[in-house]
Amino acid sequence: MGIQEQYRNEAAELLSSGAVKLVIGYGGGSTPDRRRPVFVRSAEEVSRLVLDSYCVANLSAYLISEGLLSDGKNVAVFLKPDGIRSVNILSAEAQVNPDQVVILGFNIEGEQTTPLPGRKAADYAPLMESLRSSGLSPELQREADRLEQMSAVERFDYWKEQFAKCIKCYACRQVCPMCYCRRCIVDVNQPQWINTSSHTLGNFEWNIVRAFHLAGRCVACGGCDRACPVNIPLRLINHRMSKETLDIFGHFPGESADQKPVLATFRQDDPETFIL
Amino acid sequence: MAKIGVFVCHCGENIASMVDTGKLVTTISEHPGVAFSSEYKYFCSDPGQETVKKAIRENNLTGVVVAACSPRMHEQTFRKACAEAGLNPYMLELANIREQCSWVHTDKIQATDKAIEITRSLVEKVKRNNNLQPISVPVTRRAMVIGGGVAGIQAALDIASAGREVILVEREPSIGGHMAQLSETFPTLDCSQCILTPRMVEAVQHPNITVMTYSEVEEVDGYIGNFTVKVRQKARYVKMETCTGCGDCIQKCPVKKIPSDFECGLGNRTAIYTPFAQAVPNVPVIDRDRCTYFKNGKCKICQKTCQIDSIDFEQQDRMVSLEVGAIVVATGFQVQNTALYGEYGYGRYKDVITGLHFERLASASGPTAGKILRPSDGKEPETIVFLQCAGSRDAAKGVKYCSKICCMYTAKHAMLYAHKVHHGKTRIFYMDIRAAGKGYDEFTRRAIEEDQAGYIRGRVSKLYEENGKLIVRGVDTLLGKPVEVEADMVVLATAMIPQPDAKEFAKRIGIGYDEYGFYNEAHLKLRPVETATAGIYLAGACQSPKDIPDSVAQASAAAAKVLGLFSKEQLEREPVVASVSDSTCAGCWGCVIACPYNAIDRRDITDRNGNLIKRVASVNPGLCQGCGTCVSFCRSNSIDLAGFTEKQIFAEVMGL
Amino acid sequence: MSEPFEPKIVAFVCTYCTYAGADLAGTSRMKYAPNVRIVRLPCTGRISPMFILKALQKGADGVLVSGCHPGDCHFAQGNYHARRRWTVFRALLSFTGIPEERIKFSWISAAEGAKFAELINGITDEIRALGPFEQYQELQKVIETQSTY
Repeated sequence: MGIQEQYRNEAAELLSSGAVKLVIGYGGGSTPDRRRPVFVRSAEEVSRLVLDSYCVANLSAYLISEGLLSDGKNVAVFLKPDGIRSVNILSAEAQVNPDQVVILGFNIEGEQTTPLPGRKAADYAPLMESLRSSGLSPELQREADRLEQMSAVERFDYWKEQFAKCIKCYACRQVCPMCYCRRCIVDVNQPQWINTSSHTLGNFEWNIVRAFHLAGRCVACGGCDRACPVNIPLRLINHRMSKETLDIFGHFPGESADQKPVLATFRQDDPETFIL
Repeated sequence: MAKIGVFVCHCGENIASMVDTGKLVTTISEHPGVAFSSEYKYFCSDPGQETVKKAIRENNLTGVVVAACSPRMHEQTFRKACAEAGLNPYMLELANIREQCSWVHTDKIQATDKAIEITRSLVEKVKRNNNLQPISVPVTRRAMVIGGGVAGIQAALDIASAGREVILVEREPSIGGHMAQLSETFPTLDCSQCILTPRMVEAVQHPNITVMTYSEVEEVDGYIGNFTVKVRQKARYVKMETCTGCGDCIQKCPVKKIPSDFECGLGNRTAIYTPFAQAVPNVPVIDRDRCTYFKNGKCKICQKTCQIDSIDFEQQDRMVSLEVGAIVVATGFQVQNTALYGEYGYGRYKDVITGLHFERLASASGPTAGKILRPSDGKEPETIVFLQCAGSRDAAKGVKYCSKICCMYTAKHAMLYAHKVHHGKTRIFYMDIRAAGKGYDEFTRRAIEEDQAGYIRGRVSKLYEENGKLIVRGVDTLLGKPVEVEADMVVLATAMIPQPDAKEFAKRIGIGYDEYGFYNEAHLKLRPVETATAGIYLAGACQSPKDIPDSVAQASAAAAKVLGLFSKEQLEREPVVASVSDSTCAGCWGCVIACPYNAIDRRDITDRNGNLIKRVASVNPGLCQGCGTCVSFCRSNSIDLAGFTEKQIFAEVMGL
Repeated sequence: MSEPFEPKIVAFVCTYCTYAGADLAGTSRMKYAPNVRIVRLPCTGRISPMFILKALQKGADGVLVSGCHPGDCHFAQGNYHARRRWTVFRALLSFTGIPEERIKFSWISAAEGAKFAELINGITDEIRALGPFEQYQELQKVIETQSTY
């Protein structure tokens, strides 16, 4: 029995037993290699579920839909390891109750999709440890290295060119499980911290602030990168933030559900090489 | 519409000689929103302030910028002037064009440009200032003192004598603390119990003090002026109300061989006991774990003996909830477990004891009635070796600090021994003699010169038993030679450490602690008796190692702080505090974690039927100190700080 | 160019330490470059990264953020929180090409008037040598020329 079959059966079982009220999974998309989220509410519908190596989106973003979990009932969701980390962060930040989330975990390696044992976020603690060392894909890493080697002026020009493309559609924000604020800072107009019209300065500010708000919280699912209609390599900037919090503070985002936010805590002996 | 008044001060020549004040006034008068501007020689003078007040009244000014000296100098002066003219005092900003401009620059054109920019940016800020009112917090004028040692007793007496109610909570069956265990005290050599027990009695008899012994603080809720403390009164199995303290039950109790904690195990107690003869209150407790009745269901001899029927085996722990306005934490210290020091043989050799043991041996009310006798065979020791810094100042054993009292009590021990055993010999291994304090150095000199205390500067590397003697091997670093002493008894000046549950207790009541577990003061130099949690104060060795004079002084200081707080029915605080926007707060609780003062709580917003709509962060203005750490953390900009709001700072920066 | 470039520097400081240190430089009549504009906040904990971006938008060629030394914070912990925030934000700015040399951080106590004066002189010289932060300022100019609506 393939993984898709196995998880369809499991979803049907969860729904028919009443263990969950909803299964958030993947379904067929507009092209053969695209998947879209599907929301399955009865065992009869499980045939809509698809699970293969094209299922890359981090579906944890749907858990923060307003009111979804407020009735105390459970929801099952298909998640890769990055999504499990997101659930941990959302639990740590009190946005979801981890007891209500049944995880249908899976991993993608090349063409292979394999199930991950465990159904609660806490079951994946050993997996988290092994993920700490995970980095960018080789091609993204090459791009990151190339950027690091540039002069500040060149880097500024690189990002200016990238951010100039931004149309402030906020797809990056929409797709991100960490963007659960009821009012985003970009929508604050008293005072108007970020220029909202889409000129490069405002785009610069928006993208910098979003990256800062993701520092120590990004799980590198790549959702923003894929969602961006103008192909800004957002993953690079978020990766740089994650690298900083990991290297300097030993903080691996989403390691566990009781992790404290990296910027709301401190150690007296935090390094401070740059302070005069 | 904003009507801002700008007042440019010459400060004599201090400002006017470097800043073109006329140009500053002309330029700023054209700035949008500026309704009035003027310059004067000294605005801080009486006529100067009158000018400001008159201008506020006549022009109906909505805000004021005084371009003058540092706000650290005259902010209060001009706030007062504003208030007198009917303007909210927080509608004022000071543009610092003296300390941070005229005094530090040499080019008049550049200095003037800078002064204009500074003033302009503060005009932009003050346009967005809000009327603020001082925060009033009601104060319950009753204090709780946690810990009934000498510090706690002193704090309680001082507060009570000033006419305020105090609840003194002690977890042992008697108040008195470590001081009750001591023999004589340095540098005066007066007997510890002689000076302490009258204080204990005074405390328990004071009409304003309620003493709760055998009781533990379980939970502290609330904030300055308004704490609710849950206290567990442990079952004593003896009725406090009727017991006369005759002691018949203790005499008759068949379980007699329980090592007494008070005697450091050098003496025994019964299962129904008072820790020491002068215990206050003089009401015994039954040690449930050792009592034959509780173990086997048979005995009850104490009950049969008691003529007034004061034994009650049915008693239960009782939880009491108490409302207090201030808390003094005086939970004291412990002596380090010397088991860490294998090289000193503690635990292996009966005659290797700690300083506290020695206190009991030297105490007239102790197990040997004040005779210095070896625990192993009851013989009088001919030679005693004292090892100072047994634990202290030793990072390898986890105690980097100096325990502060050991130099003094070791000198005292040498003296007491010399007074009691005239032919006895003392050898004291020390690192430094630290005897700073009134009469302290004189005291150690006396030990050396009059009582022949033999000081050896150096550490001990090994200690072993041979032919009934303790062989102490060390080094004399002044002579640069190894030393070997044959001793009959060895006294370790063990480190003073926090109570074993100090950290856990700190978390329970919401105060901070250092790497060891000593409690953190709000500021080591300027606020040494306050904690970072407003309304909770520190006294005694729970903060850091202290001797009796320091503990008592700090206790009185803490009492003064409490009485200051209790001097008014309402507590007035600067309104520079944070507040949360309920509609946008996402409830991530980052601010709750980040707040250094535990001033932010979770609050439920419910509909009219009590159903939960959402949970948001909520700042307690009684606890908030106004640092603004939460504001910078909040991703959705849902917290703001009065006086330094996002709008104000934005305007100030954009006004530059 | 006839006149030498004079950089504009905005300093965000806490009132208890660095602001008091700057006052001390004044009362001690120390002399330093007039290029700095000080914005006073209660604590470094209050200094949001947004402030730095806004200062740059207003044409600052350099920014200084300064507060109490570790362990000396009037609010006990504000500067420790600030330090983490700066560590991360500084890396972010650097990665987006905003040079580290233009964004400075320091601890200056109320007693360090001399350090304040020296630091301002040092930063002013350094940024004068770097020249104006034209790359960023051009972005602002684009807005000003476009904002006709």
